[in-house]
Amino acid sequence: MWRWLGEAAAVAGKELRAEFRTRVALNSLGLFALTTLVAVAYSVGPFRIAAEDRPFLLSVLLWIVLLFAALAGLDRSFVKEEESHTAPLLRLSASPLVVWAGKLAYNLVLLYLLMVLLVPLFALLMGFEVVLVGWFVLLLTVGGYALAVTATIVAAIISRAMTRGALYSVLSLPLLLPLVIFLIQGTAAVSDGSVDTVQSSVRAVVSLGGVMTVVSAFVFPVVWND
Amino acid sequence: MAVGIRIEFHDVGKRYDERVVFRGVSGEVGPGEILTLTGPNGSGKSTLLTILCGLVRPTRGQIRHLDPGGAEVVRAEWRRHLGVVAPSMSVYEELTALENLRFFARVRALEDVEDRCRECLDQVGLEPARTTTVRGFSTGMVQRLKIAQAMLHQPAVLFLDEPGSNLDPSGQDWLAGWVRAAADDNRTVVLATNDRSEMEWGSHSVALAG
Repeated sequence: MWRWLGEAAAVAGKELRAEFRTRVALNSLGLFALTTLVAVAYSVGPFRIAAEDRPFLLSVLLWIVLLFAALAGLDRSFVKEEESHTAPLLRLSASPLVVWAGKLAYNLVLLYLLMVLLVPLFALLMGFEVVLVGWFVLLLTVGGYALAVTATIVAAIISRAMTRGALYSVLSLPLLLPLVIFLIQGTAAVSDGSVDTVQSSVRAVVSLGGVMTVVSAFVFPVVWND
Repeated sequence: MAVGIRIEFHDVGKRYDERVVFRGVSGEVGPGEILTLTGPNGSGKSTLLTILCGLVRPTRGQIRHLDPGGAEVVRAEWRRHLGVVAPSMSVYEELTALENLRFFARVRALEDVEDRCRECLDQVGLEPARTTTVRGFSTGMVQRLKIAQAMLHQPAVLFLDEPGSNLDPSGQDWLAGWVRAAADDNRTVVLATNDRSEMEWGSHSVALAG
């Protein structure tokens, strides 16, 4: 187990080292999120939404920004391996599950980094008030994981296809839609203080994340080796 | 001495859609032997090499990787036994030479990673450039790094596709000695080449028609 974790950490470490040198995915994620956020803040702002509609509408806007920023950058790790012809040596050197776990860890770091930067900025610019802070952090944590695990397996699938760009969105959106609906429900509930709704949303998000983890662990070796 | 793995392939063929790359290719190579795959451009030498190392599935035919006891090597174990150098396989250009080797050593769960990486870099003559990112390497230096990557885990089987390409004369001399030493150490070597001097290394060969 420790050996397996060490190998996966090597893959994640390699990805992070290369990313912090080139900043391709970080720039894609960050610039997309920032541009969208500024556009939303400029056109809608904190005061153009009625007080009773704010928890739900601001939650929708937050997750739209996070979702599309994630779609803009999380496919890079696999696509780049194929485009730069490094995938064959990786295939011959590491077990498929090690590669999957390492890439997932890397995508998680990117997504959590994005959340740490974007969510406070969103709350500040849009006047998004959080009543249940602890639940909100938990929701972002499990939501980020579920988003990353889904984005990672879809990225692996599309990296083997010829028409990558369009396919990523086409495959990701149906898989991510139920997840985003629960995340929006939960986020609206942390804003209006409804603990029961947050709890059920967190349970649903954890379940979806768990299902995607199991499915990915079975599907990835086939996708990666085929 | 290396473990000693025998590769047998029978009636192997590969086609991509309507294009037949080759068909009916058979051969075998054992520990301590060097098999050369030869043939004109486009005859499928590199394709056959990737099929034999398990990266690509053949359209037809049978390939067996046998351990000294004659048992088939399981796929999960096979990865640990092979080292590959091929033009179609790249190393990470954002990383330095040492970081590349460290990465491959760690995903292969090797011990004494630092010592082994430095030793391999030294052997291929890249020790002075160990902290240079691969993006700044010449094609010959990249080729040397690929060779270092292939020797890192002291594999029982070496698949070498035009290993001398882009190497200077001293690099080619070193490569010839290294391949012969690998065979002397009971390793199995499969070499795809059109270089006359490299062809002479082979103990036997398979010629693809094209």
